[in-house]
Amino acid sequence: MRRVAIVLCGGLSSRMGRPKAWLPWFGRTMVEHVVQRLRGAAEEIVVVTSRELDLPPLEARVIRDREPERGPLAGLRDGLAAAEGDFAFVTATDAPFLSASHVSSLLDRAAPVAPRAAGHVQVLSAVYPTTAWKEADALLERGRGRPLELLERLGFDAIDWEPGAEPAPWEGFNTPSEYLSLARRTRADAVAMVEVLGRSALDLAETRFRVPIGTLGEVLGRLERRLPMRLLADGGLSKSHLVCLGGRELVRDLSLPVGPGERISVLDALSGG
Amino acid sequence: MHGFHGAYWRFDLGRGEGERIPIPPEVLRRTLGGVGLGSWLLHRESPPGVEPLAAEAPIVSAFSPLVGTGLTTSAKFAVVAKSPLTGGVCDALASSHFAIEGKALGVDAIVLVGACREPSELVDGRLRPTASWGRTAEETADALRAFGRVAAIGRAGERCVRFANLSAEGRHAGRGGLGAVMGAKRLKAIAVRGGHPTSVADPSRVARLAAALRERSGGEATAKYRELGTVGNLLSFDRLGLLPTRNFRQSQFEGAEGLAAESWRSSRSHGRSSCASCTIGCEHRFGWKGSAPTRIEYESLFALGPLLGIGDPDVVLGAARRCDELGLDTISAGATLAFAMECGEKGLLEGAPRFDEPDALLGWLDDIADRRGLGDRLAEGSRRLARSVGRGALGFAPQVKGLELPGYEPRAVQSLALGFAVGTRGADHNRSGAYEIDLSPEVDRLRGDARSAWGAVETEDRAAILDSMVLCKFVRSAIEDFYPDCAELLAAVTGFEYDAAELREVAERIVNLRKAFNVREGWQPSDDTLPRRFLDEALPSGPVAGARLPKDRLERMILHYNRARGWTDDGYPREPRLLTCFEGLGIDGIGAGAMAAGAAAGGRVAP
Repeated sequence: MRRVAIVLCGGLSSRMGRPKAWLPWFGRTMVEHVVQRLRGAAEEIVVVTSRELDLPPLEARVIRDREPERGPLAGLRDGLAAAEGDFAFVTATDAPFLSASHVSSLLDRAAPVAPRAAGHVQVLSAVYPTTAWKEADALLERGRGRPLELLERLGFDAIDWEPGAEPAPWEGFNTPSEYLSLARRTRADAVAMVEVLGRSALDLAETRFRVPIGTLGEVLGRLERRLPMRLLADGGLSKSHLVCLGGRELVRDLSLPVGPGERISVLDALSGG
Repeated sequence: MHGFHGAYWRFDLGRGEGERIPIPPEVLRRTLGGVGLGSWLLHRESPPGVEPLAAEAPIVSAFSPLVGTGLTTSAKFAVVAKSPLTGGVCDALASSHFAIEGKALGVDAIVLVGACREPSELVDGRLRPTASWGRTAEETADALRAFGRVAAIGRAGERCVRFANLSAEGRHAGRGGLGAVMGAKRLKAIAVRGGHPTSVADPSRVARLAAALRERSGGEATAKYRELGTVGNLLSFDRLGLLPTRNFRQSQFEGAEGLAAESWRSSRSHGRSSCASCTIGCEHRFGWKGSAPTRIEYESLFALGPLLGIGDPDVVLGAARRCDELGLDTISAGATLAFAMECGEKGLLEGAPRFDEPDALLGWLDDIADRRGLGDRLAEGSRRLARSVGRGALGFAPQVKGLELPGYEPRAVQSLALGFAVGTRGADHNRSGAYEIDLSPEVDRLRGDARSAWGAVETEDRAAILDSMVLCKFVRSAIEDFYPDCAELLAAVTGFEYDAAELREVAERIVNLRKAFNVREGWQPSDDTLPRRFLDEALPSGPVAGARLPKDRLERMILHYNRARGWTDDGYPREPRLLTCFEGLGIDGIGAGAMAAGAAAGGRVAP
């Protein structure tokens, strides 16, 4: 049996304010972290992303969700249709505690199967036959969009999950505080790396700082106490500065999360030239 | 008339005679000066289809109403010609006392046509054989110092290197090969001095506005330029994954920290100076290998450093200095070399230069300027070189319309990528400032969309105004309310009661003048694109690894841009709008007639 893993990361991440796939997780992006966790459990990894969300280079096949606005079932359908195997483990991208042993144990059953915890079926930490893409397509045709309905039609086995000390393999997050809380649970002293660039750096003996994670406002507030300059003004970021998260996202929103291992650049408010 | 002299000086180098030709006040009001007036003169003086290096091709130096008023950063002039690199309109600006003294001749522009019989210089209104042929522009200016302020070309211009520049007081009209146009005319230099001051309509109002702008130009808005200069971009751009490296194959450079001006300030001798009439002082000079400090800007730093895989600051500073001496545009020189290096790696170009070989760089720059050996082919620029190499090389030649890309990775700043694609001058960060919205939280810089088109139009229009009135772009952030404030400045100087609405029309007119010229000279919609590398390949590494700019996305942005401009979907100006836009400019000679010539040459104009 050829074993496949599918990662769904085409969601809007609207409550997070940043794409979950690109959030840092102790040295990797979240999608890189999840793909790395899956590598020991599946011969093929398919990552389904939206038309517009580009991803870092991955050791996985990346496909585009044809109907991202229709929710996870559409992405699941596209992933199953693209998979070249018999059964596929399906996960969301925000699954920092996913383990290869969890994935293997489910794929070993070679049947539709999903964990159930406190009565809730974990449809995005479950195994589907790859042929189920047709059933998913039919459901979508009828205006149905829930993966649970697909599992039910497939006659899946539910495995009751006993909570332990460790977080569940599917435990994810939707808000900055949930994400930061999971990161702190993993390592209480998690830090981000801040680099000050441009003319602000001219006044500094040291330009790189390790700062405990938090919202951007919290991180910059802690950093500001160590600098001879103001980074925050009038409840926001100072007009003289701009902040880049991960070398990727230029932001001013102080409520955004700054995660473990995040690289933050504090820049002059750039005007090129 | 205030602010203007109402005429241009047309000098025929073949006959050795000049004449003063009136410019109607309405034309001056509607084109301002600088690139606007220069573009109008190009339409008027350039025979349709003329070869850029032919004797008949004109080269224009256009001044502006603000030149000579003492307003901060106003001592600039625009050089305008048909580009030998692109075959389209080229306008480049330089700051110097040449602008002040040139305008003091009592004219708003100087137009040179024809060609000298022998290497010559134009001094006190007369041609004479030059003893400076083979010298640097700086040496030439020194030799002519007694005759006023000087604009001159270096060796590269003499040999018609297609990206040779024109220099005045160490500042360059750098892009597009304007030095080659002058070299083709065998004109080494022009020295100017005059006794006609610029009169202003309302001296007390001008003084008040000038004082306010001067004060703001010394504030926070320009602190970046004053304290660190444009070289401060390099490390920031590296961290943002938009620093072009090894011919745009990467967007981060492992040697960036060694080239960071932030650390140079403590490790190298450093000096700072200003252009004529400037209160910002963005010019930063750094010492190298015991030599006198050399002025360097970000664009030279990126093009002669990371783009070639070179991280030795002494080599880069030395190469920048060498380009200045030879009269080479540093961006095109670096980008053409980088392209040749990749061709060499791919086995497409025998004897090509190699990445990561700093010791060979100065020799290659000399070979280009002297058109020696392979340098002769490199002197043609990356597009012509790619065409002669063939075998798919055009797909990774870093140019648009023939003009090499400046130091912004287009996949990482996609609004600017649009600006590059549609730019009339080619890939150009000075005529399209769309990076301003990319480098803000307002848009997703990795996902260009309709807002990119809005940003491209808006920043292009503002650049058209700044480059025509003329003020330095570095002062733009010190202008509080752009159109009303610029209108007030112009009104105080000229007496024409400009308002914001009229100035917006002027911006549209100037953009249309340039576009209409290109259409006349054979522009096609397929010219508005980027090399295939940027459309087919995702960035392979760095913080924005995976970033793509698919062709269909670029095409959608271009469509939005064309519609925002009021052009047809494929980018042709509409004739009725042009007729309105060009009213008062002598439409038969510029609008309908020129566009008809374009249609005959293979272009077409929408009805």
